[in-house]
Amino acid sequence: MSADLSDLRPVHVVGIGLHPYRRGSETPYVDLGLTAVREALADAGMAWADVESSFVGNVNLGFASGRVMLRHLGATGIPMAQVENASASGSTAFAQACLDVASGIREVSLALGVDKPALPDLAPTKTGIRDLTASRLLPVAHFALLADEYMHRYGHRAEDLAAVAVKNHHNGALNPNAQRRRTRTLDEVMGEAPLAGVLTRLQCCPIGEGAAAAIVASDDAIDRLALDPARAVRVLASVTRTERVYAAGHDHDAALTAETGALAFGQAGISPQEIDVLEVHDAFSIEELLYIEALGLCDPGTAPLRLSQGAWEIGGECAVSPSGGLLAMGHPIGPTGVGQIVEITRQLRGEAAPRQHPGSRIGLAHMVGVGAVCVIHILAAR
Amino acid sequence: MPQPISAQPTLYPAGPPGSAARLRGRRCAACGYVFFPPQDFGCERCGAAADQLVPAELKGTGTLLACVTVYFHPLQEPTTPFTVASILLDDGPAIRSLLVGAGETEAQCLEPGLRMQAVLTPAGTDSEGTEIVELRFAPAGPGTRDVG
Ligand SMILES: [Zn+2]
Repeated sequence: MSADLSDLRPVHVVGIGLHPYRRGSETPYVDLGLTAVREALADAGMAWADVESSFVGNVNLGFASGRVMLRHLGATGIPMAQVENASASGSTAFAQACLDVASGIREVSLALGVDKPALPDLAPTKTGIRDLTASRLLPVAHFALLADEYMHRYGHRAEDLAAVAVKNHHNGALNPNAQRRRTRTLDEVMGEAPLAGVLTRLQCCPIGEGAAAAIVASDDAIDRLALDPARAVRVLASVTRTERVYAAGHDHDAALTAETGALAFGQAGISPQEIDVLEVHDAFSIEELLYIEALGLCDPGTAPLRLSQGAWEIGGECAVSPSGGLLAMGHPIGPTGVGQIVEITRQLRGEAAPRQHPGSRIGLAHMVGVGAVCVIHILAAR
Repeated sequence: MPQPISAQPTLYPAGPPGSAARLRGRRCAACGYVFFPPQDFGCERCGAAADQLVPAELKGTGTLLACVTVYFHPLQEPTTPFTVASILLDDGPAIRSLLVGAGETEAQCLEPGLRMQAVLTPAGTDSEGTEIVELRFAPAGPGTRDVG
């Protein structure tokens, strides 16, 4: 019989670490990854020798990236694997680490996302299937089309989308690990030439380099290693889904997020309205609005109004992208999904000043990736 | 004069420039799913293999879902700006296509729900001087002849 996380033993995030997201540099990825892992070990208060397995998410480093980096922590001989799942690579590495512990196979596991910017080597261009637009349609054009449809359906304006970028740049400016750390006015966001449709540069995420690490552990490991249980954050749900055949002309990304979200809320036993902190795949401003609605935080078409009322700000009803999101913290691909876990853990521990969302008890991390795949985790404070 | 050739013969047949275009899709004999672009790997809806996937000619008529001008594009082709649209075909699939006059069309002027028509447009000549035609969409109107 199949099982999900709620049927297995509890698993907790006990250590988090980051290497700041930034423009690509000459620094080897090994430095980026080790910085994040060492910070996570120190945060947890454990040694590398206590970690029993590791999953390394990335897309651009090439094969066999894991051990040649992690051996510099001491070659303990633990199982390691690389995880590639497009933009959700880090999220999937985290899901694997959680299952490794929840299943009872390991007591402590590491999820690490690390990446460098590169021209992606995309398997979907190698299927032999050609379409009318061939390689002409970049993600920005895809999401600009969804934006056009959304604006026409609900009567929203370009400013309503740009307001997402204003909020997320405000949050990013409070995050020392963010790639974009400048507040931006609506005029600044709207003032640049669009790349496609209404989407201007500041409504599109920067792709740089960085690393993010999350160490997960069982209750037994927390006891045995004398970790601080008050700083452990429980993983309530871990759900991965892939796209099915939806009705022609409907937004596949939103449909996939809706069904993945419904399963995750069921697994966690909570409702969308109980989410205090939300990190979504806001690679483009329109996406944040679409996913807030698809996850059921508000009715379809009402996310821009709620945004204008402050509902999605830090201190509002639910802090959406308090890290700055992909738009401001950045989207180095491999690290991104783990970086969401890092931010949510910080928020649920109450350690996220100066961008702390008051009273954070439950957080949700959402990533989608080309394919399409969707990965959602729900975390809860102790 | 030789007949024009299709820029993407697996996707649509050639015809005179300016004439209405049809698309080469597939229909799954097992479940009825109609899809574009064509492929013979297997049905995405039911998993039926190539022997169940039969060629299905799709009318080049449909309804506009969305339309945007692309101003930034790192590849050589096509030159920016160009205009791309999502179109729900009358025969089932939703597709994406460039529009006729891409680069000049004011995408903002095209409202969702507008009736659209696929048209074969001139796209240069091959090395032997034979005319190439490319499929684009345009608002349906008296300028296009519906042979679907
Ligand atoms: Zn079928």
